[in-house]
Amino acid sequence: MSLPSFQLLRPKTLDEAMALMAKYDGQVKVVAGGTDLLPSMKQKLFTPPYVLDLRGISELRGIRSGAGGGVEIGVLTSLSTIEHALPIRKDYPVLYEAVKTVASPVLRNMGTIGGNLCLDTRCLWYNQSLLWRKSCGFCLKKDGDLCHVAPGGKFCWAAFSGDTPPALMCLGAEIEIAGPTGTRRTPLSEFYVNDGIARLHLAENEIVTRVYLPESSAGWRGSYQKLRVRGSIDYPLAGVAVALKMRAGRVEAVRVAITAVNPAPFLVKDADAHLVGVVPTEEIAGWVGDLAASTAKPLTTSALTPEYRREMVRVFAKRAVMSAAAN
Amino acid sequence: MTDFSVIGKSIAMVDAAGKTTGAGKYTDDLSLPGMLVGKILHSVYPHARIKRIDTSRAKALDGVVAVVTGADAPNPYGILPVGHDETALAVEKVRYVGDHVACVAAISEEIAENAIELIDVEYELLPAYFDPVESMKAETDLIHENRAHNIEKDYHHVFGDLDKGFAEADYIAEGRYLANEVTHAAMEPHSTLANFELDPHTGKLGRLTVWSSTQVPYYLQHKLSLVLEMPMSQIRVIKPLVGGGFGGKSEIIPLEIIAAVAARAARAPVKITYTREEVFWAHRGRPRTIIDLKTGVKNDGRMTAVACKVIQDGGAYCSYGVVTILYSGALLGALYDIPNIRYDGYRVLTNKPACGAMRGHGTVNVRFAFESQMDEIAAKLKLDPAEMRRVNLLKPPTVTVNGLRVLSYGLPECIDQVVTRSGWKERKGKLPKGRGLGVACSHYVSGAANSIIRSDMPHSTVNIKIDRDGSVVIYTGASEIGQGSDTMTAQVVAEVLGCEIARVNVIAADTDLTPIDLGSYSSRVTFMAGNAALRAAADVKKNIVSAAAKRMNCAPEDVIMRNDRVWNGGTTLSDYDFTASDSLGEKEAARGHVDGQILRGSVLQTRKEDGPKDHMSFEEAVVAAIDFHGALTGTGSYAPPAAARGGKHKGGGVGPSPAYSYSAQVAEVSVDEDTGEVTVHKVWAAHDCGRALNPVAVEGQVIGSVWMGLGQALEEEIVWKDGLLMNPGLLEYRSPSSTESPEIECIIVESIDPEGPFGAKEAGEGSLAATIPAISNAIYDAVGVRLRESPFTPERVLAALRAKKGMKRIEMTESVDPTAPEKFREHGGSLWFRGKGPMRHPLDPARQGTNAGSPAGGGD
Amino acid sequence: MKKELIELRINGRTHELAIEPNKLLLDVLRQDLGLTGSKRACDDSSCGSCTVQVDGVPMLSCTMLAASCEGQEITTVEGLADHDGLAALQKAYGDFGGAQCGFCTPGFMMTVRWLLANNHDPSEQEIREALSSNLCRCTGYSQMYQAIRAVIEAEQKSTPTEMVGAK
Repeated sequence: MSLPSFQLLRPKTLDEAMALMAKYDGQVKVVAGGTDLLPSMKQKLFTPPYVLDLRGISELRGIRSGAGGGVEIGVLTSLSTIEHALPIRKDYPVLYEAVKTVASPVLRNMGTIGGNLCLDTRCLWYNQSLLWRKSCGFCLKKDGDLCHVAPGGKFCWAAFSGDTPPALMCLGAEIEIAGPTGTRRTPLSEFYVNDGIARLHLAENEIVTRVYLPESSAGWRGSYQKLRVRGSIDYPLAGVAVALKMRAGRVEAVRVAITAVNPAPFLVKDADAHLVGVVPTEEIAGWVGDLAASTAKPLTTSALTPEYRREMVRVFAKRAVMSAAAN
Repeated sequence: MTDFSVIGKSIAMVDAAGKTTGAGKYTDDLSLPGMLVGKILHSVYPHARIKRIDTSRAKALDGVVAVVTGADAPNPYGILPVGHDETALAVEKVRYVGDHVACVAAISEEIAENAIELIDVEYELLPAYFDPVESMKAETDLIHENRAHNIEKDYHHVFGDLDKGFAEADYIAEGRYLANEVTHAAMEPHSTLANFELDPHTGKLGRLTVWSSTQVPYYLQHKLSLVLEMPMSQIRVIKPLVGGGFGGKSEIIPLEIIAAVAARAARAPVKITYTREEVFWAHRGRPRTIIDLKTGVKNDGRMTAVACKVIQDGGAYCSYGVVTILYSGALLGALYDIPNIRYDGYRVLTNKPACGAMRGHGTVNVRFAFESQMDEIAAKLKLDPAEMRRVNLLKPPTVTVNGLRVLSYGLPECIDQVVTRSGWKERKGKLPKGRGLGVACSHYVSGAANSIIRSDMPHSTVNIKIDRDGSVVIYTGASEIGQGSDTMTAQVVAEVLGCEIARVNVIAADTDLTPIDLGSYSSRVTFMAGNAALRAAADVKKNIVSAAAKRMNCAPEDVIMRNDRVWNGGTTLSDYDFTASDSLGEKEAARGHVDGQILRGSVLQTRKEDGPKDHMSFEEAVVAAIDFHGALTGTGSYAPPAAARGGKHKGGGVGPSPAYSYSAQVAEVSVDEDTGEVTVHKVWAAHDCGRALNPVAVEGQVIGSVWMGLGQALEEEIVWKDGLLMNPGLLEYRSPSSTESPEIECIIVESIDPEGPFGAKEAGEGSLAATIPAISNAIYDAVGVRLRESPFTPERVLAALRAKKGMKRIEMTESVDPTAPEKFREHGGSLWFRGKGPMRHPLDPARQGTNAGSPAGGGD
Repeated sequence: MKKELIELRINGRTHELAIEPNKLLLDVLRQDLGLTGSKRACDDSSCGSCTVQVDGVPMLSCTMLAASCEGQEITTVEGLADHDGLAALQKAYGDFGGAQCGFCTPGFMMTVRWLLANNHDPSEQEIREALSSNLCRCTGYSQMYQAIRAVIEAEQKSTPTEMVGAK
C-alpha cells in the first residue's frame, strides 16, 4: 500500500516549524514517530497536502529536570527512552509501567511521547482500508455521516487508545503547546475532548512541544493495568492507571485514570473520596473499580465485547489500587 | 538404529543461509526489466450482479498500461475437478466483499492504486447469505446456480451398525461444539510475477513464465493452461522461496492467474503482490464449523459408536471444500478403535471469502469436539482421561471400519511419553486452584493416497544427475515452503549415495526443469517425494556401484558407499576408519571451501595411473561410473499402494493415506478467574513421525503445529459482521507474539513405518489438532468450565466462569453461551443504515423498509 | 509529486537517490536499491518483517519516510554478515531451526542483534520481550530461544574480540 502524495516539510527548529504551519495553515499533518499516522495514511484516512516531520527538531527531544522541580520531557522523546530513563522509573513509576506496555519494543523505539498523547482515536469501523470503508458506507469520522457502532447516532465513539496519558493524568502532568501567538500550558487532563472526531483541544496550527511532570507527584506509587489479547503489539482494549501517595500505610493522595474505553482518557472522579485517609483493602479497591467501570462507556470499536471491557476496567482498577498501594 | 550417516542427524536447512542473510529470493523480491505493478479492484458488495464495468477512465490515466476484467479470462477453474466455480476476475457476479473484479497494470504502485479508483462498476445487488444454517434454507438467489440450498456438497456415511453400537453403550454423551474461523496468516503475502516471451518468428506473445508463491506449482501450470487456453507445455511455473503456506498457497489464488492475464494484455511483465488485507480476502482458511457430536461408551471408556454431524461455513467458492468436509468425517477413524460411525457432513456456501485447506485440513475442528467430549465422558465416568484413550487404541496392522489402513502406530508410546513427562499421574487434579492439566490426541495423513485429479500418474517423481565434478543434482517438483522439503530430499539422496550432503544440490519446483510432483499439501512430501528420492538415488547408485565393483575387482554386493567414500566391504577394509581428518580434504572440496577444482582435477589426473584398489573417493567412483556408463542419471517415482487407497463408498477416496502420524499432548494452563485470561505454561507434545530424518526440523514442525493450534485455541479468530471481515490485518487478527508463546517440549516417537522413506511419516500437521482440546481440557481441570466454542478468549472464559458461580449475568458473549453454543456470534454494530459516500448501501433497510432481502439496483 | 534528491547512508555506504517524498524507506531499500532482505508483510506496522536499524536502533522501515532518514546510519540485514561468512547469530538460527520459511528472519536478525549488543546476558524474559516486536508464523519462537542461547553461550566462552552479531 502506497502513501498518498504530499510535500514533506522538515524544519530544524520549532520556530521554523511554526512558520511552516502558519504558511500552510490547515493543510499540514504533523508526524513524529510515524507509527500512528503512516499506517492510517496508507489506508487513506489522511491525505494531507503537506506532512511536517518534527524529527529534525532536536530541541524537542530529551528528558531533563524541570525549572521549578519535576521533570520535563520533549515531545520527540521516544517511548523507549522514557522506559529506560531511571528518574522516570524511580520517581514516576506509573508512567514507567504504562510506557513499557505500549505496542512492542521496536514500535517504542519509533513512537514518541507526543505521538502517544495525540494518538488518533481508534475504531474497527474506521481503521480500515479505503475499499473496506466503502463496503459499509463511510462513517462520521471519515467522509460520511453515519456511525456503525451506534446506529443512527451522531456521536463518534472511536476510542482513545494511548497507554501513557492515563498515567500522566494521574501524575498531574501538564503539556506545553506552541501556536501562532506563542506557547500555552495546560493540564493534560484538560487536553482531551470526549468525542472521537474532535479528540483534542489542539488547533490545526498548534503543536504539543513538552510534557511536564510536577515535583508534587514525584515518588507517588503507581500501577498501570492493560487489557490486551497479546502480550505485545496490541493497543489497549482497556487500561487503568493508579498513582497514589502513601503516608504511614494510609493513602494521602490518589488519582485514577482510564483509557481505551471512551473517546478520551478520563480521570475517575471521586476515587479519592474512597481512598484518601484509609488503608486500601480489597473492598475499598472494589468500590474504586465500580467507579471506574461506571466512567467507562466502551462500544464495539475493538476486539472483545464492550461488556467484557467494562468489567475489566472494574477488575483492573481494583487490582491497580492494590498493586500501587503495595509497591 | 544408528547405522545412518546423514539422516537422523539434526542439520541446518540447505537454504538456511539465504534466509538468515536476506539473500534468498521470494517472489516479491524478483523484478524484470520493464516490469509493471498490478493492483486489483475488489468487490464492495457481498453478493451482486455486475451490470456494467467501465474501465475507460482508468485506462486514460497516464502510466496505466492495461486494465483487465473478467471478460479477459472467463474460463472457470478450481482446485478440485468437481469445484470449477471460480474465475480469476468476476464474470457475472461478485460473491463476497473482496471478490476480484478488475486489475490495473501500471508503471508504479501508486498509479495503479489511483487507477483502481477510476474504474466504474454498476452492480445489481442480491440478497446475501452469511450464516451457514440460514444459507442452507435458501431457495432463490443462490450463490452458485447449480448448488441447491447453497449446499456445496453433503455426505452421509454409516459404517458398522450404529443402533447396535449405541444400544451397547453404558453412557452416551451428546453436544454441540463451535469452532470459529481461522486463517493461515503466513508471513509472506501472496505474490506472482508473470512474463510472456515474444515468439521470435511472429512477434506475438509466446511462452509464459510465472514465478509465484505457491505450494502447488504444477496445479498452477494446469489451471493457467485452462484459463489462458494455452498448452501446458507453453507455460513454465517457477516457485521461488515461499514465506510460509500452511495450506493458504495450496491452490490457485486469483492473483496467480490475474497476473498472467494482465501481462498478456500489457505485453509486459506484471507483478502483483497482495496487500495483507487482500491476503485475508483470498483466505482459504479453516472454516467456522458446527459439530454435533454423540459418543457412546462402555463404563470402562471403550467407545461403541460415534455419530457426528458437521456443518462448515465454506464461503463463496468450493475451493478444497469437498475434500475438507470429507476429511472431517474420514479422520474420525484411524486414531482410535471405533466400531460404528455415522457421519453427516455439509459444506455450505456463504457470501464470504472462500475457506480452503489449512494445516490439519478438515480434522482440527472435529478433533476439538471429539477430544473435548472424551474428556467430558471421562469426567462423567470418573476415568483417567489418558487411560480412556488407552482403552480405545487401535491394534495395527488393521483396516478401520471406514476403510483406512493403519500399519505403524506410535500413539501408545506418545501417550506414555506425555503422561510421564508432564507428571500427569502425580499432578492431574492436584494442582492449585486455577491451574490444570489436559490431555488430547490427534493424527494426520502422510499424503493423500488418491490424487485430486484421478490418474495413474505417480504422485512424486525425482530425477538425479551426477556429473564428473562429483556434484549430485536432484530435480524434484516437491515444493519447499519452509518445512524443509529440499533438505529432506538432499538428506535422503546423500544417505543412499553415501556422499556428503554438501555435494548435493536441489533444483526444485520449476516445471521446465523438474519432474511433476503434486505439491506441498496433505503432509505428503516426506513420504512421497522422499520415497521417490530414495528410489531415484538407488537407481543412480546401481551404476556407480557396478563401476566401482569393476575398479575394485569385487562383487557389486560388496561395494559400500558411505561418508563420501567407496570401498570393498568384502575386505578387511570393512571397518575402514573414516575419521574426520581422513576425509577432510574431500569434504572441503565438496563444499568448495578450498580450491576445489584444482583438488578435483588432481584426483582425476592421478586416477588413471592407479591400479586396482580397494577403496576410492566418491568422485573417483563417479568418474569411473561415467566412464563405464556415460551420463549418470537416475529416476524414481512413488505412488501409494492399492491397499492404502481406501474404501469404495462415495467420498471414500479422501482420508486414506499410506501412513498416519500420531500425536499426544498434555497442556498445563492457569486461568485468572477474575479476568478469564488463560495462560498456557507448557505443552508436552509427543509426535510419531515414523522416523525423524532431521530431528531439529521435525521438532520445528511439531512445535510450530502446536503453537499454531494454541493460536486457534486462545487468540485467533476471524471476526465477521454481515459478511464483512472485521479484522483483515495482523494487528487485529492476533497471531501470538513471543510473550505469550509457552515452552513446548517436543518428544519424537519413531514407529518406523514399513513403507515410509527410512520409515518416516509426516511431522508438519498432525500435532496441531490435539492442542486445542488439550488446552480446553486443561481449562476444565483448572476451573471446572467446559468451553464448547473456540477460541477460548477471556470474555468467553469469564462468561462461563460467572455462569458456573451463579453470578449476575453480564452480556459478554452476545447471547452465545460458550459452554453450550448454538450459533455463531457476529461483531456488534451495524452495516445496514443510511449512509453517505460513493458506495452507500442501496440495500440499507432504513431505505427499503425491509430486511436485507429484496434486490435493489444502483446507488445514489 | 516531484522527486527530490536525497542521500542515504546504508550499510556504511552513501547512496544518492531521487525519490518522491511519500516513499517509504522499505520501498526505497527494496525497489530502488535492490536490498530485498527487508520484507513487507503486514501494512499496519504490526509484524516487524521490515525491521532495519537506524543509528543502531531497530525500527520499522515500512513506517518511515525515506526522506526523513537523511543523515542517519541505516543498517539492513544485508549489512549484518561478516565479510567472509555468516554472523554467529545467522549461523545459529540455521543450526537450531530458528528460521523455517525465513520470511520474518531478517527482521528478527535486526532485533536480536540489538538485544545482544545491549545485553550480554539477557534472561529468558528479556529475550521473549525483545522478540515480541516481530511475528513469526512457523516456529512458535521456541527454536529461536535455543539459537539465541547458543550464541550467548558461545560469546561468553570466546574472547571479547569475537563479539557475536557484530562485525
